[in-house]
Amino acid sequence: MNKELLKKSQSLIALFALCLVISILSDKFMTSSNLWNVLRQISVNICISVGMTLVVLMAGIDLSVGSVLAFSSAVCAGLLSKGISIPSMDLFIGFTVLGGVLVALIVGLLMGLFNGWVITKFSLPPFVATLAMLTIARGATMLYTQGIPISNLGSSFEFIGSGWLLGIPVPVWISLFVVLSVVFITNKTTFGRYIYAIGGNERAAFLSGINIKAVKLAVYGISGMMAAVGGILVTSRLNSAQPNAGASYELDSIAAVVIGGTSLSGGIGTIAGTVIGATIIGVLNNGLILLNVSPFWQQVVKGLVILLAVIIDQKSKKKA
Amino acid sequence: MKKVIGLVIVCFLVYNSVYFKKLSEQSASESSKFNFVAYADSIYNQGILKQAKPIALADLQKELGKNTENAFSQFGNRLGIGQTAYFMVSVDGTVLNKTVDGFEVKTTDGNIYPIDIKFIFGNAIRDASKLVKLTDFKTNADFNKVSEELNNVIREKAIPAQLSTLTVGDKVEVVGAIKQSKKDALPILILPANITKL
Repeated sequence: MNKELLKKSQSLIALFALCLVISILSDKFMTSSNLWNVLRQISVNICISVGMTLVVLMAGIDLSVGSVLAFSSAVCAGLLSKGISIPSMDLFIGFTVLGGVLVALIVGLLMGLFNGWVITKFSLPPFVATLAMLTIARGATMLYTQGIPISNLGSSFEFIGSGWLLGIPVPVWISLFVVLSVVFITNKTTFGRYIYAIGGNERAAFLSGINIKAVKLAVYGISGMMAAVGGILVTSRLNSAQPNAGASYELDSIAAVVIGGTSLSGGIGTIAGTVIGATIIGVLNNGLILLNVSPFWQQVVKGLVILLAVIIDQKSKKKA
Repeated sequence: MKKVIGLVIVCFLVYNSVYFKKLSEQSASESSKFNFVAYADSIYNQGILKQAKPIALADLQKELGKNTENAFSQFGNRLGIGQTAYFMVSVDGTVLNKTVDGFEVKTTDGNIYPIDIKFIFGNAIRDASKLVKLTDFKTNADFNKVSEELNNVIREKAIPAQLSTLTVGDKVEVVGAIKQSKKDALPILILPANITKL
Protein backbone atom coordinates (compact mmCIF):
# COMPACT_ATOMS: atom_id res chain seq x y z
CA MET A 1 0.00 0.00 0.00
CA ASN A 2 2.80 2.40 1.04
CA LYS A 3 4.89 1.35 -1.97
CA GLU A 4 1.95 2.02 -4.28
CA LEU A 5 1.42 5.47 -2.76
CA LEU A 6 5.14 6.23 -3.05
CA LYS A 7 5.13 5.18 -6.70
CA LYS A 8 2.11 7.36 -7.45
CA SER A 9 3.68 10.33 -5.69
CA GLN A 10 7.15 10.07 -7.21
CA SER A 11 6.68 13.12 -9.50
CA LEU A 12 5.37 15.20 -6.62
CA ILE A 13 8.29 14.14 -4.42
CA ALA A 14 10.68 15.03 -7.25
CA LEU A 15 9.05 18.48 -7.53
CA PHE A 16 9.38 19.15 -3.79
CA ALA A 17 12.99 17.96 -3.83
CA LEU A 18 13.75 20.21 -6.79
CA CYS A 19 12.14 23.22 -5.08
CA LEU A 20 14.07 22.49 -1.90
CA VAL A 21 17.43 22.24 -3.69
CA ILE A 22 16.88 25.41 -5.74
CA SER A 23 15.65 27.40 -2.74
CA ILE A 24 18.80 26.39 -0.84
CA LEU A 25 21.03 27.41 -3.75
CA SER A 26 19.20 30.66 -4.61
CA ASP A 27 17.52 33.00 -2.13
CA LYS A 28 15.48 34.56 -4.96
CA PHE A 29 13.58 31.38 -5.79
CA MET A 30 11.09 31.45 -2.93
CA THR A 31 10.16 35.12 -3.35
CA SER A 32 6.50 35.71 -4.20
CA SER A 33 7.31 37.65 -7.39
CA ASN A 34 9.45 34.77 -8.69
CA LEU A 35 6.87 32.12 -7.81
CA TRP A 36 4.10 34.08 -9.56
CA ASN A 37 6.42 34.45 -12.52
CA VAL A 38 7.02 30.69 -12.61
CA LEU A 39 3.27 30.02 -12.43
CA ARG A 40 2.60 32.49 -15.23
CA GLN A 41 5.26 30.86 -17.40
CA ILE A 42 4.15 27.28 -16.81
CA SER A 43 0.52 28.17 -17.59
CA VAL A 44 1.30 27.97 -21.32
CA ASN A 45 2.99 24.58 -21.05
CA ILE A 46 0.21 23.26 -18.81
CA CYS A 47 -2.45 24.13 -21.40
CA ILE A 48 -0.49 22.48 -24.22
CA SER A 49 0.54 19.48 -22.11
CA VAL A 50 -3.01 18.78 -20.99
CA GLY A 51 -4.01 18.32 -24.64
CA MET A 52 -0.87 16.30 -25.26
CA THR A 53 -1.73 14.02 -22.33
CA LEU A 54 -5.00 13.00 -23.98
CA VAL A 55 -3.09 12.20 -27.18
CA VAL A 56 -0.39 10.21 -25.36
CA LEU A 57 -3.03 8.38 -23.31
CA MET A 58 -4.27 7.03 -26.66
CA ALA A 59 -0.69 5.94 -27.47
CA GLY A 60 -0.37 8.82 -29.94
CA ILE A 61 1.88 11.85 -30.17
CA ASP A 62 1.35 15.40 -31.41
CA LEU A 63 4.52 17.08 -32.62
CA SER A 64 2.64 19.96 -34.24
CA VAL A 65 1.53 21.82 -31.09
CA GLY A 66 4.31 24.45 -31.24
CA SER A 67 3.58 25.33 -34.85
CA VAL A 68 -0.20 25.23 -34.34
CA LEU A 69 0.33 27.61 -31.43
CA ALA A 70 2.27 29.99 -33.69
CA PHE A 71 -0.23 29.90 -36.56
CA SER A 72 -3.37 30.26 -34.46
CA SER A 73 -1.87 33.15 -32.48
CA ALA A 74 -0.67 34.84 -35.69
CA VAL A 75 -4.19 34.62 -37.16
CA CYS A 76 -5.64 35.99 -33.92
CA ALA A 77 -3.16 38.91 -33.91
CA GLY A 78 -3.66 39.59 -37.61
CA LEU A 79 -7.44 39.80 -37.21
CA LEU A 80 -7.20 41.97 -34.11
CA SER A 81 -4.82 44.43 -35.72
CA LYS A 82 -6.00 44.50 -39.33
CA GLY A 83 -9.41 42.82 -39.48
CA ILE A 84 -10.65 41.70 -42.90
CA SER A 85 -11.08 44.15 -45.77
CA ILE A 86 -13.32 43.36 -48.73
CA PRO A 87 -12.75 46.23 -51.20
CA SER A 88 -15.28 44.95 -53.77
CA MET A 89 -18.08 45.31 -51.18
CA ASP A 90 -16.58 48.37 -49.44
CA LEU A 91 -16.73 46.27 -46.29
CA PHE A 92 -14.42 46.08 -43.30
CA ILE A 93 -14.90 43.29 -40.75
CA GLY A 94 -13.26 44.15 -37.45
CA PHE A 95 -12.65 41.68 -34.62
CA THR A 96 -13.06 42.22 -30.90
CA VAL A 97 -10.78 40.44 -28.43
CA LEU A 98 -13.47 37.76 -28.03
CA GLY A 99 -13.60 37.38 -31.82
CA GLY A 100 -9.83 37.05 -32.16
CA VAL A 101 -9.67 34.50 -29.36
CA LEU A 102 -12.54 32.44 -30.80
CA VAL A 103 -11.00 32.40 -34.27
CA ALA A 104 -7.65 31.30 -32.79
CA LEU A 105 -9.38 28.46 -30.95
CA ILE A 106 -11.23 27.41 -34.10
CA VAL A 107 -8.00 27.50 -36.14
CA GLY A 108 -6.25 25.35 -33.51
CA LEU A 109 -9.21 22.96 -33.42
CA LEU A 110 -9.30 22.62 -37.22
CA MET A 111 -5.58 21.95 -37.44
CA GLY A 112 -5.88 19.33 -34.72
CA LEU A 113 -8.86 17.76 -36.48
CA PHE A 114 -6.84 17.65 -39.69
CA ASN A 115 -4.11 15.75 -37.81
CA GLY A 116 -6.73 13.32 -36.52
CA TRP A 117 -8.30 12.93 -39.94
CA VAL A 118 -4.97 12.16 -41.63
CA ILE A 119 -4.06 9.66 -38.89
CA THR A 120 -7.39 7.81 -38.97
CA LYS A 121 -8.17 8.06 -42.68
CA PHE A 122 -4.76 7.01 -44.01
CA SER A 123 -3.62 4.99 -40.97
CA LEU A 124 -0.47 7.11 -40.79
CA PRO A 125 1.69 6.91 -37.67
CA PRO A 126 0.85 9.98 -35.52
CA PHE A 127 4.55 10.84 -35.40
CA VAL A 128 4.69 11.29 -39.18
CA ALA A 129 1.32 13.00 -39.59
CA THR A 130 1.93 15.56 -36.87
CA LEU A 131 5.53 16.08 -38.01
CA ALA A 132 4.12 17.07 -41.38
CA MET A 133 1.69 19.46 -39.69
CA LEU A 134 4.61 20.90 -37.71
CA THR A 135 6.23 22.15 -40.92
CA ILE A 136 2.95 23.02 -42.67
CA ALA A 137 1.78 25.22 -39.78
CA ARG A 138 5.19 26.86 -39.37
CA GLY A 139 5.35 27.61 -43.07
CA ALA A 140 1.79 28.95 -43.01
CA THR A 141 2.75 31.20 -40.09
CA MET A 142 5.71 32.59 -42.03
CA LEU A 143 3.49 33.16 -45.07
CA TYR A 144 0.78 34.86 -43.04
CA THR A 145 3.16 37.12 -41.08
CA GLN A 146 5.79 37.47 -43.82
CA GLY A 147 8.25 36.69 -41.05
CA ILE A 148 7.44 39.94 -39.24
CA PRO A 149 5.92 40.09 -35.73
CA ILE A 150 2.37 41.47 -35.48
CA SER A 151 2.37 43.94 -32.59
CA ASN A 152 0.22 46.46 -30.71
CA LEU A 153 -2.80 44.29 -30.10
CA GLY A 154 -4.37 46.53 -27.48
CA SER A 155 -4.46 46.61 -23.70
CA SER A 156 -7.62 44.52 -23.34
CA PHE A 157 -5.98 41.66 -25.23
CA GLU A 158 -2.78 42.14 -23.22
CA PHE A 159 -4.83 41.62 -20.02
CA ILE A 160 -5.25 37.91 -20.88
CA GLY A 161 -1.52 37.23 -20.61
CA SER A 162 -0.37 39.95 -18.24
CA GLY A 163 -3.38 40.86 -16.10
CA TRP A 164 -4.28 39.88 -12.54
CA LEU A 165 -7.66 38.71 -11.27
CA LEU A 166 -8.36 38.39 -7.52
CA GLY A 167 -4.63 38.62 -6.85
CA ILE A 168 -3.76 35.77 -9.22
CA PRO A 169 -2.36 36.12 -12.77
CA VAL A 170 -5.03 35.62 -15.46
CA PRO A 171 -3.01 32.87 -17.27
CA VAL A 172 -3.07 30.85 -14.03
CA TRP A 173 -6.88 31.11 -13.91
CA ILE A 174 -7.09 30.05 -17.56
CA SER A 175 -4.79 27.05 -17.08
CA LEU A 176 -6.74 26.10 -13.96
CA PHE A 177 -9.98 26.18 -15.95
CA VAL A 178 -8.39 24.08 -18.72
CA VAL A 179 -7.04 21.53 -16.23
CA LEU A 180 -10.33 21.17 -14.36
CA SER A 181 -12.27 20.81 -17.61
CA VAL A 182 -10.00 18.06 -18.91
CA VAL A 183 -9.91 16.32 -15.51
CA PHE A 184 -13.71 16.27 -15.67
CA ILE A 185 -13.62 14.88 -19.22
CA THR A 186 -11.14 12.11 -18.40
CA ASN A 187 -12.65 11.07 -15.06
CA LYS A 188 -16.36 11.71 -15.35
CA THR A 189 -17.33 11.10 -18.97
CA THR A 190 -17.57 8.04 -21.18
CA PHE A 191 -15.42 9.87 -23.72
CA GLY A 192 -12.63 9.99 -21.11
CA ARG A 193 -13.00 6.27 -20.45
CA TYR A 194 -12.80 5.63 -24.20
CA ILE A 195 -9.46 7.46 -24.37
CA TYR A 196 -7.98 5.20 -21.67
CA ALA A 197 -9.55 2.14 -23.29
CA ILE A 198 -8.05 2.92 -26.71
CA GLY A 199 -4.62 3.57 -25.17
CA GLY A 200 -4.80 0.40 -23.10
CA ASN A 201 -5.78 -1.93 -25.94
CA GLU A 202 -7.02 -0.44 -29.20
CA ARG A 203 -8.18 -3.77 -30.62
CA ALA A 204 -10.19 -4.61 -27.52
CA ALA A 205 -11.67 -1.11 -27.51
CA PHE A 206 -12.71 -1.52 -31.15
CA LEU A 207 -14.29 -4.90 -30.48
CA SER A 208 -16.23 -3.48 -27.55
CA GLY A 209 -17.90 -1.04 -29.94
CA ILE A 210 -15.97 2.19 -29.34
CA ASN A 211 -15.83 4.46 -32.39
CA ILE A 212 -12.05 4.74 -32.38
CA LYS A 213 -11.81 7.09 -35.34
CA ALA A 214 -14.23 9.58 -33.80
CA VAL A 215 -12.44 9.54 -30.44
CA LYS A 216 -9.03 10.00 -32.09
CA LEU A 217 -10.36 12.83 -34.23
CA ALA A 218 -11.78 14.58 -31.17
CA VAL A 219 -8.63 14.10 -29.09
CA TYR A 220 -6.32 15.54 -31.77
CA GLY A 221 -8.83 18.38 -32.18
CA ILE A 222 -8.66 19.11 -28.45
CA SER A 223 -4.86 18.99 -28.58
CA GLY A 224 -4.84 21.58 -31.39
CA MET A 225 -7.26 23.78 -29.47
CA MET A 226 -5.14 23.57 -26.31
CA ALA A 227 -2.13 24.64 -28.38
CA ALA A 228 -4.20 27.63 -29.54
CA VAL A 229 -4.98 28.50 -25.89
CA GLY A 230 -1.24 28.45 -25.24
CA GLY A 231 -0.75 30.66 -28.29
CA ILE A 232 -3.26 33.20 -27.04
CA LEU A 233 -1.48 33.34 -23.67
CA VAL A 234 1.96 33.77 -25.23
CA THR A 235 0.77 36.40 -27.73
CA SER A 236 -1.12 38.45 -25.20
CA ARG A 237 1.78 38.29 -22.73
CA LEU A 238 4.10 39.76 -25.39
CA ASN A 239 1.30 41.86 -26.95
CA SER A 240 2.79 40.61 -30.20
CA ALA A 241 2.55 37.48 -32.35
CA GLN A 242 6.02 36.20 -33.19
CA PRO A 243 6.44 34.06 -36.33
CA ASN A 244 8.81 31.73 -34.47
CA ALA A 245 6.63 31.45 -31.36
CA GLY A 246 6.24 28.01 -29.86
CA ALA A 247 9.40 26.56 -31.38
CA SER A 248 10.29 23.39 -29.42
CA TYR A 249 7.20 23.72 -27.21
CA GLU A 250 6.21 20.24 -28.36
CA LEU A 251 9.28 18.87 -26.62
CA ASP A 252 8.49 20.68 -23.37
CA SER A 253 4.94 19.40 -23.42
CA ILE A 254 5.97 15.81 -24.18
CA ALA A 255 8.52 16.11 -21.38
CA ALA A 256 5.83 17.34 -18.98
CA VAL A 257 3.56 14.44 -19.92
CA VAL A 258 6.29 11.81 -19.53
CA ILE A 259 7.70 13.26 -16.31
CA GLY A 260 4.14 13.37 -14.99
CA GLY A 261 3.97 9.61 -15.30
CA THR A 262 1.91 9.16 -18.46
CA SER A 263 3.06 6.08 -20.33
CA LEU A 264 4.16 6.72 -23.92
CA SER A 265 2.56 3.41 -24.89
CA GLY A 266 -0.81 4.72 -23.73
CA GLY A 267 -3.53 3.81 -21.27
CA ILE A 268 -1.79 5.02 -18.11
CA GLY A 269 -1.50 8.56 -16.83
CA THR A 270 -3.30 11.45 -15.22
CA ILE A 271 -3.80 15.15 -15.88
CA ALA A 272 -2.62 15.90 -12.33
CA GLY A 273 0.62 14.10 -13.13
CA THR A 274 1.07 16.23 -16.26
CA VAL A 275 0.51 19.43 -14.25
CA ILE A 276 3.24 18.30 -11.86
CA GLY A 277 5.46 17.43 -14.84
CA ALA A 278 4.95 20.88 -16.38
CA THR A 279 5.68 22.46 -13.00
CA ILE A 280 8.91 20.46 -12.70
CA ILE A 281 10.01 21.69 -16.15
CA GLY A 282 9.07 25.29 -15.25
CA VAL A 283 10.82 25.18 -11.87
CA LEU A 284 13.86 23.55 -13.47
CA ASN A 285 14.03 26.28 -16.15
CA ASN A 286 13.61 29.01 -13.57
CA GLY A 287 16.11 27.46 -11.17
CA LEU A 288 18.77 27.05 -13.83
CA ILE A 289 18.34 30.70 -14.85
CA LEU A 290 18.53 31.88 -11.22
CA LEU A 291 21.67 29.82 -10.75
CA ASN A 292 23.23 31.44 -13.83
CA VAL A 293 23.60 28.13 -15.62
CA SER A 294 24.44 28.58 -19.30
CA PRO A 295 21.44 28.15 -21.65
CA PHE A 296 23.33 25.37 -23.42
CA TRP A 297 23.66 23.43 -20.15
CA GLN A 298 20.00 24.07 -19.44
CA GLN A 299 19.12 22.09 -22.57
CA VAL A 300 21.41 19.26 -21.51
CA VAL A 301 19.92 19.11 -18.00
CA LYS A 302 16.36 19.16 -19.32
CA GLY A 303 17.19 16.34 -21.73
CA LEU A 304 18.69 14.25 -18.94
CA VAL A 305 15.62 14.77 -16.75
CA ILE A 306 13.35 13.56 -19.58
CA LEU A 307 15.60 10.57 -20.14
CA LEU A 308 15.49 9.72 -16.46
CA ALA A 309 11.69 9.97 -16.44
CA VAL A 310 11.36 7.60 -19.42
CA ILE A 311 13.79 5.09 -17.85
CA ILE A 312 11.74 5.11 -14.62
CA ASP A 313 8.58 4.65 -16.71
CA GLN A 314 10.07 1.65 -18.52
CA LYS A 315 11.38 0.07 -15.32
CA SER A 316 8.06 0.38 -13.52
CA LYS A 317 6.31 -1.19 -16.53
CA LYS A 318 8.68 -4.15 -16.51
CA LYS A 319 8.04 -4.65 -12.79
CA ALA A 320 4.29 -4.57 -13.41
CA MET B 1 -34.42 22.99 -26.39
CA LYS B 2 -30.70 22.24 -26.42
CA LYS B 3 -30.49 23.41 -30.05
CA VAL B 4 -32.20 26.70 -29.19
CA ILE B 5 -29.80 27.35 -26.29
CA GLY B 6 -26.85 26.46 -28.53
CA LEU B 7 -28.07 28.82 -31.22
CA VAL B 8 -28.53 31.65 -28.71
CA ILE B 9 -24.97 31.13 -27.42
CA VAL B 10 -23.54 31.11 -30.96
CA CYS B 11 -25.47 34.28 -31.86
CA PHE B 12 -24.25 35.97 -28.66
CA LEU B 13 -20.63 35.02 -29.37
CA VAL B 14 -20.75 36.12 -33.02
CA TYR B 15 -22.48 39.41 -32.13
CA ASN B 16 -19.74 40.20 -29.60
CA SER B 17 -16.89 38.99 -31.81
CA VAL B 18 -17.14 41.01 -34.98
CA TYR B 19 -18.24 44.44 -36.13
CA PHE B 20 -18.84 45.75 -39.61
CA LYS B 21 -17.88 49.08 -41.11
CA LYS B 22 -17.66 50.59 -44.54
CA LEU B 23 -14.12 50.09 -45.75
CA SER B 24 -13.94 53.76 -46.78
CA GLU B 25 -14.86 54.82 -43.22
CA GLN B 26 -12.30 52.46 -41.75
CA SER B 27 -9.59 53.78 -44.10
CA ALA B 28 -10.51 57.34 -43.12
CA SER B 29 -10.24 56.56 -39.41
CA GLU B 30 -6.94 54.75 -40.04
CA SER B 31 -5.53 57.76 -41.86
CA SER B 32 -6.58 60.08 -39.03
CA LYS B 33 -4.34 58.04 -36.74
CA PHE B 34 -0.79 59.14 -36.10
CA ASN B 35 1.11 59.37 -39.37
CA PHE B 36 4.61 58.09 -38.69
CA VAL B 37 5.81 58.73 -42.23
CA ALA B 38 4.83 62.41 -42.11
CA TYR B 39 6.20 62.76 -38.60
CA ALA B 40 9.56 61.26 -39.57
CA ASP B 41 9.64 63.47 -42.65
CA SER B 42 9.11 66.60 -40.54
CA ILE B 43 11.69 65.47 -37.96
CA TYR B 44 14.20 65.15 -40.77
CA ASN B 45 13.41 68.21 -42.86
CA GLN B 46 12.36 70.65 -40.15
CA GLY B 47 14.38 69.21 -37.30
CA ILE B 48 17.61 67.50 -38.24
CA LEU B 49 18.36 69.70 -41.26
CA LYS B 50 17.39 73.00 -39.64
CA GLN B 51 17.52 72.75 -35.85
CA ALA B 52 20.04 70.03 -35.00
CA LYS B 53 23.31 71.47 -33.80
CA PRO B 54 25.98 68.90 -34.52
CA ILE B 55 29.32 69.23 -32.81
CA ALA B 56 32.48 68.89 -34.91
CA LEU B 57 33.78 65.37 -34.39
CA ALA B 58 37.28 66.62 -33.53
CA ASP B 59 35.83 68.94 -30.85
CA LEU B 60 33.74 66.14 -29.40
CA GLN B 61 36.76 63.85 -29.21
CA LYS B 62 38.70 66.56 -27.37
CA GLU B 63 35.84 67.07 -24.92
CA LEU B 64 35.46 63.33 -24.38
CA GLY B 65 39.14 63.12 -23.49
CA LYS B 66 39.00 66.20 -21.23
CA ASN B 67 35.66 65.83 -19.46
CA THR B 68 33.68 62.75 -20.41
CA GLU B 69 30.72 63.46 -18.12
CA ASN B 70 30.29 66.94 -19.56
CA ALA B 71 30.63 65.69 -23.14
CA PHE B 72 27.93 63.11 -22.51
CA SER B 73 25.52 65.46 -20.76
CA GLN B 74 26.03 68.42 -23.13
CA PHE B 75 26.30 66.74 -26.52
CA GLY B 76 25.06 63.20 -26.05
CA ASN B 77 21.69 61.59 -25.65
CA ARG B 78 21.12 58.31 -23.88
CA LEU B 79 17.73 56.84 -23.15
CA GLY B 80 18.55 54.05 -20.77
CA ILE B 81 20.85 53.66 -17.81
CA GLY B 82 23.70 52.20 -19.90
CA GLN B 83 27.16 53.62 -20.45
CA THR B 84 26.62 54.54 -24.10
CA ALA B 85 25.06 57.58 -25.78
CA TYR B 86 24.50 58.86 -29.29
CA PHE B 87 25.98 62.12 -30.57
CA MET B 88 25.17 64.18 -33.65
CA VAL B 89 28.52 65.14 -35.18
CA SER B 90 29.84 66.84 -38.29
CA VAL B 91 33.02 66.26 -40.24
CA ASP B 92 34.48 68.32 -43.06
CA GLY B 93 36.66 66.62 -45.61
CA THR B 94 37.29 65.40 -49.11
CA VAL B 95 35.64 62.47 -50.86
CA LEU B 96 38.44 59.91 -51.12
CA ASN B 97 36.64 57.19 -53.08
CA LYS B 98 33.08 56.17 -53.87
CA THR B 99 31.15 52.91 -53.66
CA VAL B 100 27.56 52.06 -54.59
CA ASP B 101 26.31 52.67 -51.06
CA GLY B 102 28.65 55.35 -49.82
CA PHE B 103 32.13 56.83 -49.82
CA GLU B 104 35.18 57.45 -47.67
CA VAL B 105 35.85 60.93 -46.42
CA LYS B 106 39.31 62.20 -45.55
CA THR B 107 39.12 64.96 -42.94
CA THR B 108 41.40 67.99 -42.81
CA ASP B 109 43.29 66.41 -39.90
CA GLY B 110 44.02 63.32 -42.01
CA ASN B 111 41.51 60.83 -40.57
CA ILE B 112 39.55 58.64 -42.95
CA TYR B 113 35.94 57.63 -42.15
CA PRO B 114 33.63 55.37 -44.15
CA ILE B 115 30.21 56.94 -44.79
CA ASP B 116 27.80 54.21 -45.80
CA ILE B 117 24.04 53.63 -45.81
CA LYS B 118 24.56 49.87 -45.57
CA PHE B 119 25.34 50.15 -41.85
CA ILE B 120 22.64 49.24 -39.33
CA PHE B 121 21.10 52.56 -38.33
CA GLY B 122 18.87 51.33 -35.51
CA ASN B 123 17.85 54.22 -33.28
CA ALA B 124 21.11 56.15 -33.75
CA ILE B 125 19.84 59.15 -35.74
CA ARG B 126 16.60 59.47 -33.76
CA ASP B 127 18.44 59.49 -30.45
CA ALA B 128 21.40 61.59 -31.55
CA SER B 129 19.03 64.28 -32.87
CA LYS B 130 17.48 64.71 -29.37
CA LEU B 131 14.29 65.73 -31.16
CA VAL B 132 12.11 62.72 -30.34
CA LYS B 133 11.14 61.89 -26.78
CA LEU B 134 10.00 58.50 -25.51
CA THR B 135 7.33 60.15 -23.34
CA ASP B 136 5.59 61.49 -26.46
CA PHE B 137 4.59 57.94 -27.45
CA LYS B 138 2.25 55.44 -25.88
CA THR B 139 4.39 52.39 -26.52
CA ASN B 140 8.00 51.50 -27.22
CA ALA B 141 6.85 50.02 -30.51
CA ASP B 142 5.51 53.44 -31.60
CA PHE B 143 8.72 55.11 -30.47
CA ASN B 144 10.75 52.63 -32.50
CA LYS B 145 8.46 53.08 -35.48
CA VAL B 146 9.72 56.68 -35.64
CA SER B 147 13.27 55.36 -36.03
CA GLU B 148 12.13 52.97 -38.71
CA GLU B 149 10.48 55.73 -40.76
CA LEU B 150 13.26 58.24 -40.09
CA ASN B 151 15.85 55.71 -41.28
CA ASN B 152 13.71 55.15 -44.38
CA VAL B 153 13.66 58.87 -45.19
CA ILE B 154 17.43 59.07 -44.81
CA ARG B 155 18.49 55.81 -46.41
CA GLU B 156 15.95 55.59 -49.20
CA LYS B 157 15.57 59.23 -50.21
CA ALA B 158 17.94 61.83 -48.76
CA ILE B 159 21.36 60.18 -48.81
CA PRO B 160 21.04 58.35 -52.17
CA ALA B 161 20.07 61.68 -53.81
CA GLN B 162 23.01 63.45 -52.18
CA LEU B 163 25.41 60.62 -53.03
CA SER B 164 24.52 60.75 -56.70
CA THR B 165 25.91 64.29 -57.01
CA LEU B 166 29.26 63.50 -55.38
CA THR B 167 32.50 62.81 -57.18
CA VAL B 168 35.92 61.91 -55.85
CA GLY B 169 37.76 65.01 -54.68
CA ASP B 170 34.62 66.97 -53.70
CA LYS B 171 34.75 68.93 -50.47
CA VAL B 172 31.87 67.85 -48.24
CA GLU B 173 30.37 68.28 -44.80
CA VAL B 174 28.85 65.12 -43.35
CA VAL B 175 26.41 65.31 -40.45
CA GLY B 176 25.65 62.03 -38.78
CA ALA B 177 25.24 60.03 -35.61
CA ILE B 178 27.92 58.20 -33.68
CA LYS B 179 27.79 56.05 -30.59
CA GLN B 180 30.26 56.41 -27.75
CA SER B 181 30.71 54.74 -24.40
CA LYS B 182 31.79 56.27 -21.12
CA LYS B 183 33.71 53.13 -20.28
CA ASP B 184 35.81 52.52 -23.40
CA ALA B 185 36.13 54.63 -26.53
CA LEU B 186 34.22 52.94 -29.36
CA PRO B 187 35.47 53.00 -32.98
CA ILE B 188 34.03 55.99 -34.86
CA LEU B 189 31.26 54.88 -37.20
CA ILE B 190 29.35 57.81 -38.66
CA LEU B 191 25.78 57.00 -39.69
CA PRO B 192 25.04 59.79 -42.15
CA ALA B 193 21.98 62.03 -41.83
CA ASN B 194 22.99 64.73 -44.31
CA ILE B 195 25.80 65.34 -46.79
CA THR B 196 26.43 68.85 -48.07
CA LYS B 197 28.77 69.70 -50.93
CA LEU B 198 30.95 72.64 -49.87
